Amino acid sequence: MKAAIRHLKRNRGRTILTLLAVVIPIYFLIVMFGFINSMVQDMFESSTRFDTGHMQIRAVESRATGSAQPLMADPTDALAALASIDGIEWSTVRLDLPALASVGDHTRTIFVRGVVPEEIDPISNMAERIVEGQFLTSESTGLLVGEELADLLGLGLGDDMVLLGAHPEAGLGAIRAPIAGIYNAPEATIGRTFVYASLGTARRLARSATAATAVVIRIDGVAGPQDAARMEAAADALRAALPEGYEVQGWLELLPVMDGYMKILTPMLLIMAIVFFGLGALVVVNTLYLSVMERTRELGLILALGASRLRVMGMVLTEAGIITLAGAFYGVVIGVGIILIVEAFGGIPLWGQMAAYMREVGIPPVLHMSITVPQVLLSVGAMSAIAVLAAWLPARRASKLEPMEAMRYVE
Amino acid sequence: MSSDALIRTVDLRKTYITEAIETPALNGVDLELREGEFTAVAGPSGSGKSTLLHLLGGLDRPTSGEIYLNGKPMSALSKDQLAQLRLTSLGFVFQAYNLIPVLTVLENTAFVLELQGIVRSERIERARRILGELGIEEYAHQYPSRISGGEQQRVAVARAVVSDPSIVLADEPTANLDTATSLDLIDLMRRLNEGRGATFFFATHDTRLLDRVNRLITLVDGAIADDQTRNGL
Repeated sequence: MKAAIRHLKRNRGRTILTLLAVVIPIYFLIVMFGFINSMVQDMFESSTRFDTGHMQIRAVESRATGSAQPLMADPTDALAALASIDGIEWSTVRLDLPALASVGDHTRTIFVRGVVPEEIDPISNMAERIVEGQFLTSESTGLLVGEELADLLGLGLGDDMVLLGAHPEAGLGAIRAPIAGIYNAPEATIGRTFVYASLGTARRLARSATAATAVVIRIDGVAGPQDAARMEAAADALRAALPEGYEVQGWLELLPVMDGYMKILTPMLLIMAIVFFGLGALVVVNTLYLSVMERTRELGLILALGASRLRVMGMVLTEAGIITLAGAFYGVVIGVGIILIVEAFGGIPLWGQMAAYMREVGIPPVLHMSITVPQVLLSVGAMSAIAVLAAWLPARRASKLEPMEAMRYVE
Repeated sequence: MSSDALIRTVDLRKTYITEAIETPALNGVDLELREGEFTAVAGPSGSGKSTLLHLLGGLDRPTSGEIYLNGKPMSALSKDQLAQLRLTSLGFVFQAYNLIPVLTVLENTAFVLELQGIVRSERIERARRILGELGIEEYAHQYPSRISGGEQQRVAVARAVVSDPSIVLADEPTANLDTATSLDLIDLMRRLNEGRGATFFFATHDTRLLDRVNRLITLVDGAIADDQTRNGL
């Protein structure tokens, strides 16, 4: 061990290079994990708080209804089933209707989202998103539009909007309602598409006092996508309790685009990890090979004195092990350090097209970072294993040297 | 054949073959080395001195013939068994590049004991004792690059004898030393031979050292041309 450390000190340049080959992939992977964790968490929070919940009870779609969700004539029995199972943190009834929105000469296809404002606000913080006007109450007859839709239709507070409901199961309904407020949506698509109304107002448009399209649910103890098993268990319990005609859909099922993002992240990270770990392994092999070549005579002497081949192999692997341990330590310190520094400064603000893109996919234009202990252990473990495997080749070469040939070796 | 021979060779031959060119190095050497001897093998360059030492030391294999160490044939041993034999029964002093540069004099001396698995306190104690005997204890914590060539060879001798091997094989140990240092080194080896009973067998082509040995074997063209025992030294 002492000799290995002295060898590493003696060839400082090469040791630093090998060290970097271990440090860089580890800290890179930790930082990537940091970004991706935070992006996924932001997408999860934004989607589940503002749109999908952790899951929804919906009516089973018995016929194609285009972009409209199947209508529940009365969700009372579904709510009763929901009340019978444990672990539900929160739920609310919602009515989403496709509609035409007309203001003056402009008409756009939108969705009217009928909600119980007092129920959704604690989860979505919708009231804090109002940039002009007022948030709704259950008694409100006004509408909330996103900044994007307000821009598109040239809408201002107090302007009247005519809504023509066209749900295939509800038939045509029409209402005129004033703009009570303009909200800042977490995703631009939501801001362009969803007009919020109280559940009562939306039901007038659907011409039904009890209609709904979804019961939006949040499960106790779910902090992020990593709690998929908990969500799935709750969904299974709910499915068993629900009467015929209802189904339960999870948040990713409700957001197929997000499901696509989530599915691509892991392979993307894996490919990057393979590239970086592969490069790291090449450097480790190369530098240790050089080290073994340079020390051929010395290794020959050690073999001549009677050291076993296993012992010589162990000497080279010990050096690799020391570098790997040091590299893992510095990799973790740098990687976790970057995450802590970024978070201490409140994240990395994005601007321009990048910020706009992030908003499109429901991520705030500030990049945050977070990391879990298993991810740190995975990064360290993977690189350490690769480095030791890479060191095995030069170690094997050292152990196969013939003592006298090695002692005559000329660099 | 003498039954108390430490090493015995029978018709020992070695031919080096490179690209279909055969170069005979040893041509049937029959030799016996006994415990406590201080033997030099002399001869001109290319006479087979180093080859003989490497074969006796288990660092190379003969083309034919046999070497018996303490009555046991070495040809039957695997590479790992030969390594173990070198570790436990043989001591080596090479011509050059003798010491491990990242270890101190003390650590170099104790290295073989470490390979033998002897506990640290004991190996340090034994290494210090032999360094003291050879008068180089003051360099115990120096690295090889900080001491002279003669001192480095003394350390190499210390390392060779520290584990009390059956025999110390030295391949031209004075080749890179000036006359005075060479004589000092041979005297030192001789003292160890007399004081500790260590058996030495070394190759040299330096005639000035030959009057210090009690047996002189002369090799010519890979065969023993002369074998003189000098009593009374």
